[in-house]
Amino acid sequence: MIPDLDPCELIDGYLDDALTADQQEELSTWIKVHPDHARTFAEAMLLHDRLRNTLAAYETPVAMHRSSTIESRRGGLGGSWLMSSVARTTAAAAVLILGLATLWFSISTQTASAAIRELDRIIVNSMRSKDRTFEIVVEDITTERRGKRSAMPESQRPPKPPLDGAALYVRSGNQFVLVRKTQEGLPFVTGSNGQQSWAINTRGPVRVSADVHCFDHDLPGHETSVPLTNLHEGLQQLKVAYELTFSALGPEEYETGDGHEARLLIAVKKRKERGPQRVEIVYDAISGGILRMRFVQMPYGPDRLDLRLSLVSQDELSSDFFEHTSHHVPDRKIEEEN
Amino acid sequence: MEEQYQQAIRYWTLAQPVVSAYVAAVVRDFRDRDDVLQAISVAVLEAFSSYDPARPFTAWAMGIARNQVGTYLRERKRNRLIFDAETVDLLAVAFEQIDSVQTRKIDFLKECLAKLEGRARQLCELRYQNDLKPAAIGSLLGMTPNTVAKSLQRIRDQLRQCIERYAALEGGQS
Repeated sequence: MIPDLDPCELIDGYLDDALTADQQEELSTWIKVHPDHARTFAEAMLLHDRLRNTLAAYETPVAMHRSSTIESRRGGLGGSWLMSSVARTTAAAAVLILGLATLWFSISTQTASAAIRELDRIIVNSMRSKDRTFEIVVEDITTERRGKRSAMPESQRPPKPPLDGAALYVRSGNQFVLVRKTQEGLPFVTGSNGQQSWAINTRGPVRVSADVHCFDHDLPGHETSVPLTNLHEGLQQLKVAYELTFSALGPEEYETGDGHEARLLIAVKKRKERGPQRVEIVYDAISGGILRMRFVQMPYGPDRLDLRLSLVSQDELSSDFFEHTSHHVPDRKIEEEN
Repeated sequence: MEEQYQQAIRYWTLAQPVVSAYVAAVVRDFRDRDDVLQAISVAVLEAFSSYDPARPFTAWAMGIARNQVGTYLRERKRNRLIFDAETVDLLAVAFEQIDSVQTRKIDFLKECLAKLEGRARQLCELRYQNDLKPAAIGSLLGMTPNTVAKSLQRIRDQLRQCIERYAALEGGQS
């Protein structure tokens, strides 16, 4: 708390939501002392509000839509004295519809821009913590082109360990570790340190490749620009290829554990874009921190997955955690792949 | 009817910055702010047929805004971080007195923002584009919340001075 703020500091503190209840009381008292004080506050607020409206990402000023609507209608009504009464009635109805459409458009534009601001907060928060650990749950699998599947080379390989129940550790710079369990309950670990990727099967040599993406294909999303190994890139893609909305979640829908409100951001894929049909992100309303992500109809080879990633931890992992050597015994044979 | 609608839109476009700033002054949650402002704009357009052109439009729209804001605040009266009714009323009067010259001046903000560079620009974007508070900005940029708050205060002062310079320049040319 900053003691003895002068009125200007109180106003700025208010603009930045940084006042305590007592300081706000002090500001309120100061405003009441003289009408000039209220005017000073109002002028500061005018600048603050315009700053927000100007800088908010992708914000489309409502006034601009309305002005352009007026201009276009002016042109269209230039010869209105020639119109028959039927035509005038029709024009009036059209104008009314246009007006309602404009109003609806401005409402939906504001809602969309608010959702984009929410996504920006999530993106900014995602840059804060270095490491994240998620638990993966596969809710549903649908397979397309079943008839063709047997002809694919993938089908000739031994079945991959299931994603369901896997642990995913991610760090910026495309670093990840994915730990799945085989049917025998043994760990099958793949990962990347951002410079090389690697796979540790239950038997045989550890496979290491200079291609950082060589072993991330076991995770869905890499082929549609929504890589689970790069949260930042995936979130940016949502801004481009998805329609966004958001809403508050009640404690009965999601319990954050620390009493914070949770919000749900829903991203629905635009037509002709690639990627999961729908992405749902549950996040902390105060910090913007991701708590859970759900991907619906996520392309995964010939399959479409519905999967859920729940945040388990944001604790920092050891500096060598994304090296393969941290996940196998030292004398294990290493096989370099081209 | 279309003429009346055009008129309503034209007036509302001019009054909206003041009404928006008033709503932002007393409604702290940014989502609620958008909702309240939308409710006001709908109410203004619906009630426009009762508007007396002899009265200043902004003052008339502010009357509608005060009602909508009053309804919103009554539902949240337990929150200590909301101004009391007397302060809200005084602020409404102050906003009503903001004239078109002042609102037009703020239009120079765009030019002034374009001049912001480096850390100042970054701070402004994190505060207003990402809606982050000084503490969150501080933890992102390795600054103390107090330093961020002071920097934001300085940036707003600079923008204010820049706007005044542009306004004086335009005044001198006309």
